[in-house]
Amino acid sequence: MNRFWLLGSALAPLLGATQTLANALAIGLSALLLVLGHQALMRPLHRMIGAPRIIVSLILAAALASCLQLGLNAWALPLALSLGHYPALLSLHCLAVDALAPHPGRWSALIRHLLGLTGLCLILGACRQWLGQSAGIHLANLAPGALILLGLLLALYNRLRPAPATSSRQGTL
Amino acid sequence: MNARVRDLLLLALVTTLAVAATLAWRQWTAAPIADAARELQEQQWLAVLPPQRYDNAPLQAPLPIASAQLQHSQLLGGYRATLAGTTSAIVLRSKIQGYAGPIMLSIAIDPNGRLIATRVLMQEESPGLGGQLGDPASHWLEQFDRQGAAANWALKRDKGDFDQLAGATVTSRAVMAALQDALRYFDAQRSSLLEHTSDE
Repeated sequence: MNRFWLLGSALAPLLGATQTLANALAIGLSALLLVLGHQALMRPLHRMIGAPRIIVSLILAAALASCLQLGLNAWALPLALSLGHYPALLSLHCLAVDALAPHPGRWSALIRHLLGLTGLCLILGACRQWLGQSAGIHLANLAPGALILLGLLLALYNRLRPAPATSSRQGTL
Repeated sequence: MNARVRDLLLLALVTTLAVAATLAWRQWTAAPIADAARELQEQQWLAVLPPQRYDNAPLQAPLPIASAQLQHSQLLGGYRATLAGTTSAIVLRSKIQGYAGPIMLSIAIDPNGRLIATRVLMQEESPGLGGQLGDPASHWLEQFDRQGAAANWALKRDKGDFDQLAGATVTSRAVMAALQDALRYFDAQRSSLLEHTSDE
């Protein structure tokens, strides 16, 4: 269940900030940077549990997202304006990662997830830029178009990946 | 109990550090952000002029226009663009009251007193009606290109020459009044606006 929720919490930035390849690259790298930074800062606090841990996680995520937004404003203002508030929304993803990532093998799972997320951002951004600008499909520039495209990409992925053994035999058992 | 106190102390410590670090970072980035914002704004002011029409840095040559109040609009600033030493265009920034709020325009005028192009810098008109003003896909502003102060500056419904933005009469009239004001101002101040033609 975990990884579906992880993807879900990153859905808003994933769909909202990938109109062009450049935006997608920026939001993907921001997610990578923010989640890794957040996890690195949370690491010394691993003995905290319950409400204090959630609050600390929230404060650190908010602080990191603010710093990221300020940095983008200072050194890439046009990009920051086209990304809007989506970099700040990534802090939600940090919270979700902190709560949902598995404890044994955390870092390798995290790296896999983040690389997958950045890759998905890039593919989505490249597809939307191509569809919107070269093929002239205006829907691809809008968030609903991005959602449809994401669905198609995931469907394609499910079709192409090696099928798990259970799914085809389920009916006959 | 002991663990709980430790957690709360840790929480307070982390919060303080996080807030302090964020504030310090904000202080540190304030100057670059202000620079970037100014640079971006100036680029938008100049976007009205095609790049092949000037070879100087017009924003370094502001004209001495100190908030001149015109008949309907207010001039916020002006810049002289030169090409190979001769004035190729004057860019004026103008503000006028629209339907929902102020509209800021950047207006480029050639030395013969004809409009080169107009860009909307800021507007708060109703989305879908007057708001189409800021949409590059609506080519409404292009009908004014190459017009001078002598044109019949009114909407067709007012027996003039120009189409209006659908559903936005007030916005259309306001923008046209600002353009006419700017062209008249140029004609009246022509010699002083163009005077430094040959000193470069």
